[in-house]
Amino acid sequence: MFKSGLGGKLTLKLDPAQHGVLSQLFDQMAELLEDPDSENGSDPLAKLLNMSGSTQISEDPALARLFPDGYTGDEHASADFRRFTEQDLRAQKIAALSVARETLSEWTGKSSVTPQQAQHWLKALNDLRLVLGTRLEITDDADRDHDSEEPGMHLYNYLTYLQGTLIDALS
Amino acid sequence: MSAMPVEDLAIDLLTDRPWITLVWNDPINLMTYVTYVFQSYFGYDKPKAELLMLDVHEKGRAVVSTGTREEMERDVAAMHSYGLWATLQKDD
Repeated sequence: MFKSGLGGKLTLKLDPAQHGVLSQLFDQMAELLEDPDSENGSDPLAKLLNMSGSTQISEDPALARLFPDGYTGDEHASADFRRFTEQDLRAQKIAALSVARETLSEWTGKSSVTPQQAQHWLKALNDLRLVLGTRLEITDDADRDHDSEEPGMHLYNYLTYLQGTLIDALS
Repeated sequence: MSAMPVEDLAIDLLTDRPWITLVWNDPINLMTYVTYVFQSYFGYDKPKAELLMLDVHEKGRAVVSTGTREEMERDVAAMHSYGLWATLQKDD
């Protein structure tokens, strides 16, 4: 769990099992994010113009949730928006994830997290909850407490708890 | 024929602020997280951030910012970086 400490720093306390599971989940997130399905990726001109991003929302519901359309009911404008922003959004998500993974790689039971690192943790944990929640097909608020015996749900509830302690520590 | 009053049209033309950012309800993001994002990104105070969050939660969506199209694209991109489900559109 996260706790606020001295000088704006936070501490993150994890037992070995929690550390193991978080490390594994973040590794899987890295794979998901670093494997963009952009067919235009090899077009040098598009790359030069910073336009190599895809224009269509992903068919994978979890990726669609991480990279949603930008415009309400306007496919054309959403495609343009995606072409110019998705690569940067992906880079931001990968950067947040890297910070969280770095904290975990230096873990010795307890870790110190700076306020700046905490902002990255907040986003990385939330992205992880979005992916896991989408995979578990959580569709309404009441589902949160459903069947916590199910392993995926148990993980999801743990991430929710951890995110809650981080928000409390930052507030 | 447009029903828009002349004075409203004048305001639109002068300020060029006819676009809005909407945040949509989703079953995963925590209420405390959404409130925190509204406070830290938009700089809203806690009561305003909580009201907006409750609007999202109860009415399914809320207008969280208003401005030019460019500004709203920036806000939507920022919301996406926090994992909030946001879109922009012309205010009507």
